[in-house]
Amino acid sequence: MTNNFAARWTALLPVAWLTTFAILPSATLLIAQVDLADVARVLERRSTREIVWFSTWQAIASVLITFVIAAPVTWLVGRHHFRGRHALRSISSIGFLLPSIVVSVGFVALLPGAAETSIFAVLLAHAYFNVAVVVRVVAPRLESFDARLVWAAQSLGAGPMRAVGSVWWPALRGAVVSAGAVVFIYCFTSYAVVRTLGGPTRNTLESDIAVRAYAIGDIGGAVVLSLLQIAVIGTVVVLARAITRDAGAGVQRTRVALGRLTKTRRAVGIGIGIVTTAAVLAPLIALALSSLRVGERWSLAGWRTVFSGDFVGTTPPLRALWSSLRTALLAGVIGVALAVLMSHAVTRFGHRGRWLDAFAMFPLAVSPVTLGLGLVVTFDEGWYDWRGAWWFVAVVHTIVAFPLAVRVLVPSWQNVAPSLRDAAAVLGASPSRSLLDIDLRLIRPAIVAALGLVGAVSLGEFGAASMLSRSGAETLPVTISRLLDRTGDVVRTQAFVLATLLVAACLVALLAIDGAGARTRHARGVSRALSR
Amino acid sequence: MLSVVDLRARRGDVDVLRGVSLEVSRGERVAVHGPSGCGKTTLLLAIAGLVTPTAGRVMLDGHDITTTPTHRRGIGMVFQDDQLFPHFSVAENVAYSLRVAGTPKRKRMREAEEWLARVGLAGFGARSVDGLSGGEAKRVALVRTLASSPAVVLLDEPLTGLDDELHQQLLLDLRLLFDNLGTTVVMVTHDRTEGAALAHRSVNFTHLMRD
Repeated sequence: MTNNFAARWTALLPVAWLTTFAILPSATLLIAQVDLADVARVLERRSTREIVWFSTWQAIASVLITFVIAAPVTWLVGRHHFRGRHALRSISSIGFLLPSIVVSVGFVALLPGAAETSIFAVLLAHAYFNVAVVVRVVAPRLESFDARLVWAAQSLGAGPMRAVGSVWWPALRGAVVSAGAVVFIYCFTSYAVVRTLGGPTRNTLESDIAVRAYAIGDIGGAVVLSLLQIAVIGTVVVLARAITRDAGAGVQRTRVALGRLTKTRRAVGIGIGIVTTAAVLAPLIALALSSLRVGERWSLAGWRTVFSGDFVGTTPPLRALWSSLRTALLAGVIGVALAVLMSHAVTRFGHRGRWLDAFAMFPLAVSPVTLGLGLVVTFDEGWYDWRGAWWFVAVVHTIVAFPLAVRVLVPSWQNVAPSLRDAAAVLGASPSRSLLDIDLRLIRPAIVAALGLVGAVSLGEFGAASMLSRSGAETLPVTISRLLDRTGDVVRTQAFVLATLLVAACLVALLAIDGAGARTRHARGVSRALSR
Repeated sequence: MLSVVDLRARRGDVDVLRGVSLEVSRGERVAVHGPSGCGKTTLLLAIAGLVTPTAGRVMLDGHDITTTPTHRRGIGMVFQDDQLFPHFSVAENVAYSLRVAGTPKRKRMREAEEWLARVGLAGFGARSVDGLSGGEAKRVALVRTLASSPAVVLLDEPLTGLDDELHQQLLLDLRLLFDNLGTTVVMVTHDRTEGAALAHRSVNFTHLMRD
């Protein structure tokens, strides 16, 4: 069985799945739901211009604030070797991996009443999410930067500013622009944060798409806004690629021995570590504490009513929890199975695998709300009217999380030495047996990590679920959001209780990812040692 | 027993095997020597079915196995860098071919321990392969191949990378083991003396090629 032959078959199912549940709905939206009158109507509206303007400036401001907040911890983990470095990097990533609705509710719990729905709260929550992006993208580049280049520049007469401009910036430009573009796109398409913390008057394109499609019933207008959003995202991606195209050229990636913290820097480092940890944990602690308060009093009434018949939401919390868990489980199993097949094909298809990889990333270009809208419009009649089926939400989640799962799995497949398959073959193992005994066993940690990741994404996904969840079977994020739309101290506390439960569920999934990551690093180390 | 007839193979754009022919009798040990990069390893890979020849034939006991998939050839190979499975213990590595053949776990683990004892590694079964020394890893790779009862064992530079003392010791151990088992062996090496010490017959790789 040749590599290409096997890859073709393993690619078939995930390609068909993505085509059916991502490309077809997007095409349906584009072809069937838009006419020129809609385009003119939406673009001429003043509110559209205001929404585009708000989406843009808040995203730019969020990028700037994120970089300011992320700079100290990025510098610390990127340029220094110290005990707890890995832990600090993991802690700074927690926010990014938590559901947006949970973080939003955490900020509602943390901020004083006047600030809890304000642009300040929106920007702060965006920064909370995206600090991880800057740390994860920029710190590795900082890590591989050889500071002796600065000494060389200084020995040639460059002052400190000149050294930054001519040595540091060229080395970091690619990572900084890439991180900035990713943060911009996340903030530009922000939904749960703006909906929860922005108050009734602030809308991003993403939240207005939801309002237009579901509250007003203006599907054509919503689709035009979706296209506008895709156009902006596309422009940002193209610009970022243009800026970073030659960013890697001439930048020497070296393994640099990172400096240990000096005595003075140790105090600064400890300070940064403490502040970062406190900032990450603050909304989560505030959330847990708020679940124990009703109004101004300490009380267990929130927890009691959530688990008794006094719950005011349309979906009882235990049912919402069950709904979320079964959705996450189904999305995890299907999504990871498809991602395993796709990543196998990507790594076995030779240079054509790059096209397949790009195809697998398609869902990143379409926001969950737009995807949900496309699915509602496409699968709406006859035997394929699946809009009310509980499993349809899981199907959407497999699409939303698919690119992330593929990204986790591809490097693991690539790490499996082909000669191990040869060794298995000469010992009598058929290609399928070798796949089971060698490949799948070696990538098992990555499969567990992908399962945790898809599970965490599904548990917290709000945009598409809010479009597709039916009354009485909403997922936890949708139930939380609907509780926050109501008034009353107990109702508000119930939202905090459910958000706390969601944090706990997500932390279990994230621990699985972290544990699997550690095992992957160990396996990689063993593999490298053996290949030496 | 093993016949390689006018075998040709390419690696990338290079004709590595240009009409190689070789005859090996049952129980015979043949060493093929030649400089690094001359195509010795490709010859073994082609015999094992891991490289597809562009022309020529590989015959085993009179049967043409040129297009037979690797896993059905019954030819074992010890790779230069051992290629032990990092996620299996030492015993699981040795017992892998038995596992593929469906041998019950208890029986195959017992056999694995017996094989390990034959090469002085008794009690190593539960160990992880990443803790093995170079010589230990070589022995495990060898008995892993022998445990599959292959008709022919292919050895790719079996003693490369070992210090002198270990090299000599392992050479003696291998010769003793192959003598006892009557194993048919084709080994490639860049070291003439190594080939002469282990094989019944040594041939120069370039003399095997027609072109």
